[in-house]
Amino acid sequence: MREDSAISLENVTFTYEGDVVALRDLNLTARRGEFVVVLGANGAGKSTLCYLTSGIVPHIYGGRRRGNVRLVDLDPWDEPLYITAQRCGVLMQDPEVQLFMPTLKAELAFGPANLGVPREEILRRVQEALALVRLEGLEEHNPRDLSGGQKQRAALASVLTMQPQVLILDEPTSQLDPLGRWEVGEAIERLKRAGDLTIVMTTHETEEVLHLADQVLVLEGGETILQGSPAEVFSQTRRLEQAGVKTPALIQIQARLGLKDADRPGGWSLTVSEVADRVREALGKGQLALRPEAVPPPPALHNSGPVVLEARNLTVEYPGPPPVTALRDVRLEIRQGEFVGIIGQNGSGKSTLVKCFVGLLRPKKGEVMFQGQNLRRFSVGEIARRIGLVLQNPDYQLFTVSCRDEVRFGLRNVGVPEEEIDPRVDEALRRVGLEAYADLFPFRLSFGDRRKLAVAATMALGPEVLIMDEPTTAQDHRGRYQLAELARRFHEEGGTVLMITHDVDLIARYAQRLIVMHEGRILLDGPTPEVFAQVEELRKSFVVPPVAAQLAQALAPLGVPPHITTLDELTRVLVPRTPQVEGE
Amino acid sequence: MQPAFRYTHLNTPIHCLHPLVKLAYLLLTLVLVMYPIRLTDMPILLIWLGFSALLWALARIEPRRFATLFKILLGTFVFLILIQGFTYRGGQTPLIVLGHLKLWEADLGVITREGVWFGLVLSVRILAATSALPLFVMTTPTSAIMSAMGKLRVPPTATFMFVSALSFTTLLFEMWSSIVDAQKLRAFDIDAMNPIRRAFRAYIPIITPLILLLFRKANDFQIALETKGFGAPVRPTEIEVLTTRPADYFWLALIVGVFGLCTVLKFA
Repeated sequence: MREDSAISLENVTFTYEGDVVALRDLNLTARRGEFVVVLGANGAGKSTLCYLTSGIVPHIYGGRRRGNVRLVDLDPWDEPLYITAQRCGVLMQDPEVQLFMPTLKAELAFGPANLGVPREEILRRVQEALALVRLEGLEEHNPRDLSGGQKQRAALASVLTMQPQVLILDEPTSQLDPLGRWEVGEAIERLKRAGDLTIVMTTHETEEVLHLADQVLVLEGGETILQGSPAEVFSQTRRLEQAGVKTPALIQIQARLGLKDADRPGGWSLTVSEVADRVREALGKGQLALRPEAVPPPPALHNSGPVVLEARNLTVEYPGPPPVTALRDVRLEIRQGEFVGIIGQNGSGKSTLVKCFVGLLRPKKGEVMFQGQNLRRFSVGEIARRIGLVLQNPDYQLFTVSCRDEVRFGLRNVGVPEEEIDPRVDEALRRVGLEAYADLFPFRLSFGDRRKLAVAATMALGPEVLIMDEPTTAQDHRGRYQLAELARRFHEEGGTVLMITHDVDLIARYAQRLIVMHEGRILLDGPTPEVFAQVEELRKSFVVPPVAAQLAQALAPLGVPPHITTLDELTRVLVPRTPQVEGE
Repeated sequence: MQPAFRYTHLNTPIHCLHPLVKLAYLLLTLVLVMYPIRLTDMPILLIWLGFSALLWALARIEPRRFATLFKILLGTFVFLILIQGFTYRGGQTPLIVLGHLKLWEADLGVITREGVWFGLVLSVRILAATSALPLFVMTTPTSAIMSAMGKLRVPPTATFMFVSALSFTTLLFEMWSSIVDAQKLRAFDIDAMNPIRRAFRAYIPIITPLILLLFRKANDFQIALETKGFGAPVRPTEIEVLTTRPADYFWLALIVGVFGLCTVLKFA
């Protein structure tokens, strides 16, 4: 181990109990102050790497290890967790389970108090950590009352008061909205700038870490497939795609257009304006051809179909204390055959709106109409049969011993005749690609597959409208698109789709109509490209348009169609004259 | 969905009261309701219940919270009044006669006035006992509860278990509500079922995911705890410093005084 190393893993192989090999021959060295990003699809071994480094393995999860692990001056395998915890802090995905004290102050003091640190020193650390994550003044608040981003920053601060030398961040932003992600990202950036802390972060959001990472490690099936500087790793776009890792959009576009700059450290421009300048330059030099006709303006919205769902002046209030108005006089029509994206901050009213659409919430004022009839007239069974809502977390509904039974459950509840049930179950499982797992215990499936099972259980009921609530949360790049593809197929067969998500790239690719919600109201509603063009309005809701849309708008004076929202569209319009595509 | 009796941060005399004084109130309530019960206990229980109502009012706890508590207990009250009405041994004055079925000293076909009254006394006793704990929980921050328990030399691990159980209650309520919603989306509506069907069939689709989720959350919870040094072999530092004010002594004297009055009335 080098003298300035904070983490050193040499030829590490780890096998969980039950002989599941999670890591194979892994090598990683992180210097003091270095920021290491670990990427990989779900199940690639990212979390196991975090657990192994921080001592969670073997003290909480058991298994067998080969190879050497050093954390600062110790081997976490040999020390009790409270010793390792003084060198290495861990921040997990879900802030809810990391906050258990009644006030923020008590939460932050919990760790050092357990170690018997003097009271005055603890209070000093608490103030320091609060300032670092910008939560000063909230000391006496219950952490559970904070917003998602604040909760995760509170959890981060509660780790920092332990004064670790190494910080492990296991997908810290995967369950947050854009504002929360920005807030946590900013706190992490400040930690990185402070210098001393070695940070290991796993994530699916490559854009967020592009400018922070010193070293990137990509795992696939527990093995290292790429390792090096961000420029080196992100140049391998095809290999990343195979591993289910998203290449940052800015690098993807430069790679596709052959715009790598040999004079620049790393070779890639990392901001939209820099990339736009490079494109302008390439167009000027004739290296790129402009073909605006390749992407004609999108067709007008499919608004001739009958109205399938309608919100008439909906107002919903949650009782307090304090009472919260979640929807304020919302008026909205969804027509048959539309694919509608709904975006907005957590708390903006998106989930409340769709809960009204499926009758889980009764509005205080206003009405929900389904095909012209008041939804109050429909029974729970009738609604379930006609409007399907797939929730964020499939684990709230799975309870049977097999995937087949899970799909059967809803069909029996709505009274489908016994002889029809099995064919419908088989068809639903086939549609989501789970037919081979029909008799498997649902909890043995991966998280992504459990989500697909939830979709199958919903689709088996034969709804006319399919609503997906945050299908991208805690999903890897590949998993997100698999679920979105299911929705697309449903839409192509004539169904109506509503999709709530924070993933603007995904919504740009699939949704024809986009609704932006803000503080219980509809802020914007229109064709997706038109909505993404309203940058100032979107800023109110902390929504940043997709990179392709930002570039198209920046290049619009040169003739690039401003309605472009996806990278595929952009690369159809901008074509390299001498193909030199990177990462092939 | 939030638990009905969650701590609410307010600046009332009851919220400012030393947690040990509130613990004393809680303990004296338990002692009072544990006295051997008689038909004549109603005035004593009403005095204590009235005193508790005064504390609830001073703590500015909304009446709907008390209504929630009453609703939760209503079934028990009806059951007690009916069962005592039919079976109370000292019952002599018939109120409703359905027939005659003698079993030892009781006539199971007759609802007696004394039985109904005894059922009412039992109900008020339960109400007096159960209204004390929400008052304590809703007006005392958990950090103060922890410090107070530390003062009483309760081991830190036991204190933490109590406090984290309170914290887990919120999570439990949220999960319960989400699971009920998730199953409604598959046409399984527990809220619309009759109590018998609910008792026999309905809870499996709700409780199974709840238990599985709790196991998973408990694992994450353990990681969060242990990576923050929980269980280290050192004495934890006390962060909350509790101070005693003259008002605390006044309230302690008042609580003990009312308890003394009730005791005297009980045994006089």
